[in-house]
Amino acid sequence: MEEPPELLSPKPLLSGAVPLEPFLATLHKHGITEVKVEETPEGHILHLQTEDTLIQLEEDGTHIVCGNNEPLRTTLRDLVLRFLQKL
Amino acid sequence: LIIKDNSLRLVSPEQALKELGLTEHQLRFTCRVQLQEPHSDQDTLNRIYTHLKSVLKGYTIQHLPDGAVMVESIVIKVTSSAEEPNLKVILLSWSYQDEELGSFLSTLLKKGLPSGL
Repeated sequence: MEEPPELLSPKPLLSGAVPLEPFLATLHKHGITEVKVEETPEGHILHLQTEDTLIQLEEDGTHIVCGNNEPLRTTLRDLVLRFLQKL
Repeated sequence: LIIKDNSLRLVSPEQALKELGLTEHQLRFTCRVQLQEPHSDQDTLNRIYTHLKSVLKGYTIQHLPDGAVMVESIVIKVTSSAEEPNLKVILLSWSYQDEELGSFLSTLLKKGLPSGL
């Protein structure tokens, strides 16, 4: 069995926000084109219809809700991280 | 480490953000893992707890009274539907700060639980 990771090395804190339109354009560039955008009082929810995944974008947080598709999750993670500052 | 007013100080990352006038952005993940388990939701959660206790040495693993298992700050819950009671949906939720462990756990649980639990 694969070994569990060593006790956690601290990750950088994140700051900033993920802007909707540039983020949608980035998803598009990565072949994720069927995205339904829903407006919420706090921000937006992106429904990635083909991928059965939700991305909740808010000013001070992003929540990625997905099935067990690790490659997709890490791709979305890296695309989100492009828009944030790491400290 | 921040330099302010010509002095150098060591502060927590959260404090540094605050002093720089920045707000933290929380990046979270919730992953669904489906497993065929002919047990109740509660028993499945107990089995997950026992399995993780044996695999993860040196980590803080808690069984919370509200029906969740926590590994460090990662929350694990089990749900199922009345139509398919044996199809368990395991929800794992973690923040970017626990990225390696969250990713490891979702891959581990996807392989299923050992039968000897």
